[in-house]
Amino acid sequence: MRKIQGIYKVASNEKLCPKFYRLCIDAQPIAKKVLPGQFIHIRTKDGFEPFFRRPFSVYRAKKHVEVFYEVVGPGTKIMSHMAKGDDIDVLGPLGTPFTFPPKGTKQVVMVAGGIGIAPFLMLSDVLCRERATALRGAELILLYGGRTRGHVYPMKEFKENGCQVHVATDDGSVGTKGRVSELFPKIHADRKTTFLYTCGPAPMMASVQAFAKKHGLHGEAACEEVMACALGACLGCSIKTTKGYKTVCCDGPVFDLHEVIFNH
Amino acid sequence: MNISVTIGSATFKNPVTVASGTFGHTEKYYDLEEVKQLGALTPKTVTLKAREGNPPPRIVETPSGMLNAIGIENPGADGFIRTKLPALKKIGIPLIISILGHTDNEFELLTEKFNAAGGVSALELNLSCPNLGKAVLVAQDPLATHRVVKAVKKISRYPVIAKLAPNVTDITEIAKAAEEAGADGVSLVNTFSAMVIDVKKRASVLGNVTGGLSGPAIRPMAVHMVYAAAKKIKIPIIAMGGIMAAEDALQFLIAGATMVAVGTANFINPRAPLDVLEGIKAYMRKNKIKDIKEIIGSLRN
Repeated sequence: MRKIQGIYKVASNEKLCPKFYRLCIDAQPIAKKVLPGQFIHIRTKDGFEPFFRRPFSVYRAKKHVEVFYEVVGPGTKIMSHMAKGDDIDVLGPLGTPFTFPPKGTKQVVMVAGGIGIAPFLMLSDVLCRERATALRGAELILLYGGRTRGHVYPMKEFKENGCQVHVATDDGSVGTKGRVSELFPKIHADRKTTFLYTCGPAPMMASVQAFAKKHGLHGEAACEEVMACALGACLGCSIKTTKGYKTVCCDGPVFDLHEVIFNH
Repeated sequence: MNISVTIGSATFKNPVTVASGTFGHTEKYYDLEEVKQLGALTPKTVTLKAREGNPPPRIVETPSGMLNAIGIENPGADGFIRTKLPALKKIGIPLIISILGHTDNEFELLTEKFNAAGGVSALELNLSCPNLGKAVLVAQDPLATHRVVKAVKKISRYPVIAKLAPNVTDITEIAKAAEEAGADGVSLVNTFSAMVIDVKKRASVLGNVTGGLSGPAIRPMAVHMVYAAAKKIKIPIIAMGGIMAAEDALQFLIAGATMVAVGTANFINPRAPLDVLEGIKAYMRKNKIKDIKEIIGSLRN
């Protein structure tokens, strides 16, 4: 209880592009502990509407804990109106983080769809540091698919981390026209030296899984499901895997790419 | 101030527990010193054989509440006794073990397993899970309720509590059947059968199609059922149904409950059971109440 729950202050809340926002929370205890791929569980408001907390990947943890979000329902709508100095009730950090690519990896590819980009900035922060040591000489690539121009923002922090950024939009308004799978030719599909990470809608992650299977590539998928407790108690956020039902909140959100059954 | 309560031969240092299926991974996330303050812990229902649970999505948010159709995912009695019970016992507070048999004989076998395992304060018979695809629940039939409670009571070394369903015409009839069969207490109420439909897909949101509604949305109905049952039975009632704060718990105690279980609130505020306990004590201090028994069933009209 006390171990993981805190009331913190909102440090800033800004709209980055027509669809996406970034909320910064002054939460040092979380910023110090959180690992890439982990999440925080936010109560957007006192009272019972909306009823559940909302889980968010940590986008970045430097001075503040950052959350990257899209307004999709009542919870995120309330979040979009939060302002500097507001109190915010947060549980975290929670969940199983990403593992690092194995030694000898030469290309790390992050495949993100829409808001699925959320866990990857922090991952790229850590991978960027690793390039000085274990991942020396490795390429970092971000393949990003958004529906329209409104779902694309500059992603300059990724570029600062040395990531090559490639964008596809469904309507072709930015970058390559089509799904993110149009960008798969950028992947150097070598089973020993390429490592994949993916996060986004289930059909998109399924396409990454199929590509990886075809080429024998390893990787990890960060999954999403409606969550109640986020502490492994309610078993409400279970998804189907090759090893039976697993909770996204505790067993995940990060799973072996080949373990998740996306089309249940 | 005396806040201890008894159910059959079991004594609890205070009347606050958690509802089955709402509290887990104790060792990882909770401060054990805080957990130890509760009157009892009630872990998720255990079945004879392991169950993998229902297909996702398993939960959905509703106005002031939620639906769930988890489907009693659990490691089975042997798995639970081997992998979970030791850590639960180590916490050092009474354990109310929730069991569910698909037949009378399974209830008996489960009882025997926990008789042998030891370290349990009471058995709660889950006669009322709405998510297992049964046409009629045990707790919807007074004769079946009587039969199962009697069979378990005959062999259990622990007090036996029957957890009843709210989806009945007359809760008092079922509560009475449990009492007559020898139950030491009843738990009121399990979730209400319910569903939410996604109109875009014209499909039920839950993988199981229907689920059980819990949370503040059901509280007034649960309070009423506890009130109605308390007038008709003499055995203690463990009340649950949308308890989010101490005032909610007090409503149930005043209506006639002996204990209260905090359930869905754990998902929103992991400290809720402790907040409820502290709030009950504060209410007693403020109103100069020396014994919790002065509150139980103290409705003035």
